[in-house]
Amino acid sequence: MSSTATLPSASTLEPLRPEAEQIVARYERRPAAILSVLHLVQQRLGFVSMDAEAWVADLLGISVAHVHEVVTFYTLYHRQPVGTYHLQVCANVSCMLRGGEHSLAALSKKLGIAPGQTTPDGRFTLSTVECLCACEHAPMMQVNDTYVGPLTPEIVEQAVAHPDQLSPAPLAFRGAPGLNEPVLSARFTTPGSEQIATYVRDDGYQMARKAVTELTPDQVIAEVTKANLRGLGGAGFPTGKKWAFIPKDTTQPKFLVVNADEGEPGTFKDRYLVERDPHRLLEGMIIAGYATGCRKAYIYLRGEYVRSAQILQQAIREAAEYGFLGKKIFNSAFDFEIVVHRGAGAYICGEETALLESLEGKKGFPRLKPPFPAIKGLFGCPTVINNVETLACVPALLRKGGEWFAKLGFGRTGGTRLFSLSGHVNRPGLYEASHGVTLRQLIFDHAGGIPGGRALKAVVPGGISAKILRADEIDVPMDFDSLLEAGTMAGSAGVIVMDDATCMVKALWYASKFFAHESCGQCSPCREGTGWLHKVVSRIADGHGRQEDLDYLLTVAGNMEGKTICVFADAAAWPIQSYITKFRPEFEYHVRHGRCEIET
Amino acid sequence: MPTLTIDGKTVTVPEGATVLQACEQAGSPVPFYCYHPGLSIAGNCRICLVEVEQSPKLPIACYTPAAEGMVVHTTSDKVLKARQDVLEFLLINHPLDCPVCDQAGECWLQDYYMNYGLYNPKFDEEKVKKPKAVPIGPTVMLDAERCILCSRCVRFCDEITKTGELGIFNRGDHSEIGVAPGKELTNDYSGCTVDICPVGALTDRDFRFKCRVWYLGSTKSVCPGCSMGCNIEIHDNRERKERPHVAQGARVMRLKPRYNADVNQWWMCDAGRYGYKAIDEQRLTTVQHRNGHGHQTSTWSDALDLLASTLRRLQEARQMDRAGVILSTQLTNEDLYVAKRVAQALGIRNVAVQGPARPGRQDDFLMKADTSPNTRGAQALGLSLDAAGLFARAARGELTTLYVCGPDVIEAYGQAAADQVKNCVELFVYQGSNAGGSVQAAHLVLPAAVYAEKDGTFTNDQGRVQRIRPAFAPLGEAKPDWQIWTELAARLEVPVSFTDAAAVFADLAAREPAFKGLTYEIIGDAGALLKA
Repeated sequence: MSSTATLPSASTLEPLRPEAEQIVARYERRPAAILSVLHLVQQRLGFVSMDAEAWVADLLGISVAHVHEVVTFYTLYHRQPVGTYHLQVCANVSCMLRGGEHSLAALSKKLGIAPGQTTPDGRFTLSTVECLCACEHAPMMQVNDTYVGPLTPEIVEQAVAHPDQLSPAPLAFRGAPGLNEPVLSARFTTPGSEQIATYVRDDGYQMARKAVTELTPDQVIAEVTKANLRGLGGAGFPTGKKWAFIPKDTTQPKFLVVNADEGEPGTFKDRYLVERDPHRLLEGMIIAGYATGCRKAYIYLRGEYVRSAQILQQAIREAAEYGFLGKKIFNSAFDFEIVVHRGAGAYICGEETALLESLEGKKGFPRLKPPFPAIKGLFGCPTVINNVETLACVPALLRKGGEWFAKLGFGRTGGTRLFSLSGHVNRPGLYEASHGVTLRQLIFDHAGGIPGGRALKAVVPGGISAKILRADEIDVPMDFDSLLEAGTMAGSAGVIVMDDATCMVKALWYASKFFAHESCGQCSPCREGTGWLHKVVSRIADGHGRQEDLDYLLTVAGNMEGKTICVFADAAAWPIQSYITKFRPEFEYHVRHGRCEIET
Repeated sequence: MPTLTIDGKTVTVPEGATVLQACEQAGSPVPFYCYHPGLSIAGNCRICLVEVEQSPKLPIACYTPAAEGMVVHTTSDKVLKARQDVLEFLLINHPLDCPVCDQAGECWLQDYYMNYGLYNPKFDEEKVKKPKAVPIGPTVMLDAERCILCSRCVRFCDEITKTGELGIFNRGDHSEIGVAPGKELTNDYSGCTVDICPVGALTDRDFRFKCRVWYLGSTKSVCPGCSMGCNIEIHDNRERKERPHVAQGARVMRLKPRYNADVNQWWMCDAGRYGYKAIDEQRLTTVQHRNGHGHQTSTWSDALDLLASTLRRLQEARQMDRAGVILSTQLTNEDLYVAKRVAQALGIRNVAVQGPARPGRQDDFLMKADTSPNTRGAQALGLSLDAAGLFARAARGELTTLYVCGPDVIEAYGQAAADQVKNCVELFVYQGSNAGGSVQAAHLVLPAAVYAEKDGTFTNDQGRVQRIRPAFAPLGEAKPDWQIWTELAARLEVPVSFTDAAAVFADLAAREPAFKGLTYEIIGDAGALLKA
C-alpha cells in the first residue's frame, strides 16, 4: 500500500455527508447507495482512499471489507490518485480495427509513459480500457468524462498539448434507410430533441397520459403483446409476456429497472436514445410502470456515460415540473418516480440479475435462478427489467397500435431496431432499420461498404459475444430468429465488420482479453476458463503456439459452456469456437509459423 | 414429501430438500465445495452438477429443489465428465504445493481429484500469482493461491458472526479473498473459517506445521470452556511415541467443533478452540506432601492413608462437621456423584461446589458467562453451590480438614482467606490437574486427570447430558477424581466402588431423579436432556 493512498483523511470527507445522505435517501436501503456515494467521494478526492472506504462503510452501515469488494470490482474507482487528465484509450476490437493501437502508441510516446502510468508532473495518466461503447468514433478514448474520437494524429497532438480544448466526439447517427417512418430515431436530429418542450411539441407524453388516465394495465399489456415487441437488450424475450409475469396481487412494492448499462462491445445505441431523445424513454417507462404496477423506477446507466446521466437528470427534472413524474401524475391516482443510478465499470452488470445485485450495492454477481426478477428482483420485490431501446418503442407502439407495430416488424419480431455499425465500413455509426434488413444490406448498402477497396472477411453480427460470420454468410436477415438459425445471434445488434487484412488471431486475442477482464469471478469454470483461454490465445498471437493449442482451446471453451450461473461463460466460449472453426487454416498458419499470414 | 429416483434408487425426501440432500439420503453423495449446510447457497463452485432427466443443462444439486418424479443421475458419463472439467478449472491456477501445505490429508481438492479427477492436465501456462502466507488475523493464515473462492468463509463472517471481515476482492481470475486493508479477522469464532475452508487457503496459525493430519488421533468430547457444552473432537498427537520430534511430543494438537444440531451446530468459539493449551500447562503429575518447608513427592498409598486416617479420627470423634469438601463445576457428573456418595456415607455434610471465579464473556451465540462445563450437573445432583460460604467457615477456623477438588482457592477467595485457611486447618488437601493457587495452600496435593483424559459426562446449561471420552491416558500419576474418591472410600470401608465411569453413571442414573432413565447408549454422541 503506497503512503499516498492514505493521505486524505476521513475528515476531508465529512463535509460530503449531507450530500451523501441525500443520495442515500433515493434508495430503499442504505447500502444501495454505495456506487453513487463512491462516485461522490472520488469526485472529491480524485480516488478512493482506504480512509474513504472506512468512511463509506460507516455511512452506509456495512463492513469495510464489503466496501473494498465494491471498490476493487468496478473499474471506475481509482485506488491511487490519477493525473489531471485521465486518457482512457479503448483497447477493444472495434477500435483496434481502426488503428487504436497506433493512437495508444502515439500517446504513450508523446507523454513518455506506458499505459497505467502517470506523468511525473501529475498532469496525465494513460490507461487502456475495455470497450467504451462508442465504436462509431473508433479509435477513441475517454478524457476524464468526455468521449473523444475518432483519434487522428491531430487529435492525439491536441490531447497532449491542449487537453482542455478537446471537443466531444460528434454524433454519428446515419439515418433510417429503408424505413418510411423511423420509430426510435425520429427525433435524433431534431434541434433541442432532449428538451421536454420539443418533445411535447412533437406530441410527446400523450401516450403516457392516455395509458395512465384512460387504459387499464391489462389493456396496455395486451397492446404490447400484440405488437410482438421483444427485448432489444439482446435476449429478444417477448416484452408483453415479461410484463404479464409481474404479480398483480402483491402487497410488496414493485420496481421497474431500465437496463441502460450498455456494454456489449460493438454497441452504442442506448446512448443515442438517452442523449437524443430522453423523454421518449421516460414516457415508455411511465407506460411500463403503469402497466406493471411499479411506482418506482431505476435507470441503471453505464458509469462512463456521464453526459447521458446529466441529460437524463435534466429530463427527469423537466418531466416532474410538467407533472409527468412524481405524485399523481397527469392528475391521476398513479405516482411514478425515477432515479438515475450510475454503474461503475463492469460489463457483467448488463446481465439483469448482476445489475440488480449492483443496484443493491454489491458486486455484480449474477444470481442463481429461479426465483426470476419478476417474482423476486430488486430488494427481494417483483421487478421488471427492460432495455432502453425496448421501452423507447412503447410510446409509438401505443400511438399507432400493436397491430401496426407488429406489421412493421419482421417474422416474430415487431417494430424496428437500431443497428450499431463499426469496424471496417465506410460510414460507421448508428442506423435504424427493419429487423429484416440483411447483414449485406447494412454493410454494403447503408454503411457504404469496406474502405480502401478491400474485401469483407468476417462480421460479428450482434456484439462481441455473437459467433462470427464469414463473408459468404451475410445474406441473413438481422432478426433474432434468422440469426439463431444461422448459428449466431442478433444480440445487441452491434455489427463489427472486419476486412480481409484483419488478423483473426489478433481479433480473437482482443475478444478473449475482454472476457478474461470482465468475468465476475463467481463460478469456477468461467473465472478460471476465461483467463486460461486468453493465455493460450496470447501465446499463439505471440508466435509461441503449439500444435495441440487449437484443439485445447476448443475443448476448454466447450468445457465452460452451460456450467455456470449466467451465460457469460458461454459468451466467452463462442468467439473462441467460431473464430477457430471458421478460420482454422489461418490459426494453423499462426501456430506453425509463429506469425500471421496476413502480414507476409 | 417428493419421491425421486436417484441412480435407480427411489427415495422420498422432506419437503424443501435439495437434490444434493436427496442424493446423500439415497446413498449417492455428490461432491461439493461451496455448499455448507449451515450457510446460504452460493452455487459458485459448480462441482455438484448432476444430470436431471428433462433438464437441458446439468443443474447444480445444491440449489435444485428435489421435485416429485425427478430422475437424477450422479454417475453418468456426462456428470463424471463435467465434474472432471470443473475440477480441472479449479486446479489450473492452484499452486499444487501439497508437500508443503498444511491442509494435505484433509484437502477436498486432493480427495476429489483422487475420486473424480485423474484427468490428463492440459494447462501449461503461467499461473496467476496471489499473496501467500498472509496472517489475516491472530488465528488464521491465508494463502490466496490455494483458494478456490467458494466464499464459505465470507458467508460465515456475514451470516453467522455478522462481523463481515472477509470479502472477495477484484474479479475474474484475479479474485482473491482477504480482509480490508488495515483490518484483521478478529471475531470470536474466526477459527471456524479454517474448519469450513475445504482447501489449504485458510490454515490455523496455531496448528499449522505442528503435525501432519494423518498422524492425528480423534476423540469425541465436549468443550469444557463454558456451560454451552459445544461438541468437539480432540485431535491428539497419536504417534508421539514413535515420532517424538512431532510438536516436541505435545499431546493435544487441536480441537475441532463436532456437529450437534441442538448445541453448536458446526461451530465453536476461539476461546474454546484454543483453550486446549491449558490442559498440559503446569500439570500436577505426582502426589506431593508438605512436611516442613516445601512439597515432597509422596505416593498415592501414603497420601490416601493420611487423608483416610484424618477423616477416620474426625468420624470417631464425631466431629465430621469439622471436615469440608469443595468440588468444582469443572468436574464431571461422575466425579461429583462419587464424591457426593462417599461424603454422604462418611457423614460429611459440608460439601459444596465452586463455580468459575469470574464470569466470562457472553454473547448471543455460543459463548456463556459461566466458564465451566457442569454447573447444571452439580445443580441436578442436588449439590450446594455455596462453596464461598464453606471456605469462609474454614477461614473462621470452624473446619480442621478441607478437601478441595478442583478450584484454585486463591483465585476464588483471595490470598488472605487462603492463608488464613492454611493456618487454621490441620489438613488442607488439594486434588487437581494443574498447578495454581490451591497448591501453595495445600498440605497434600493429589494429581487429578483433566477432561481430555477421562470418561464421563457434563451437563450443559440446556440440561443436556453429554459424553466426554479420554483422548489419552492421564499424565504421570494423575487419576480421575471419581476414582480417587473410590480409593479413599475403600480405605474407610465405605461400599462405593466402581470399575469405570460407565458403572458410575449407571448407579447415578438409578439414584439421582434428574438423571433417571439415562444411559451412555441413550446419551450417545448427541447428548440427552435431563428429566425436567
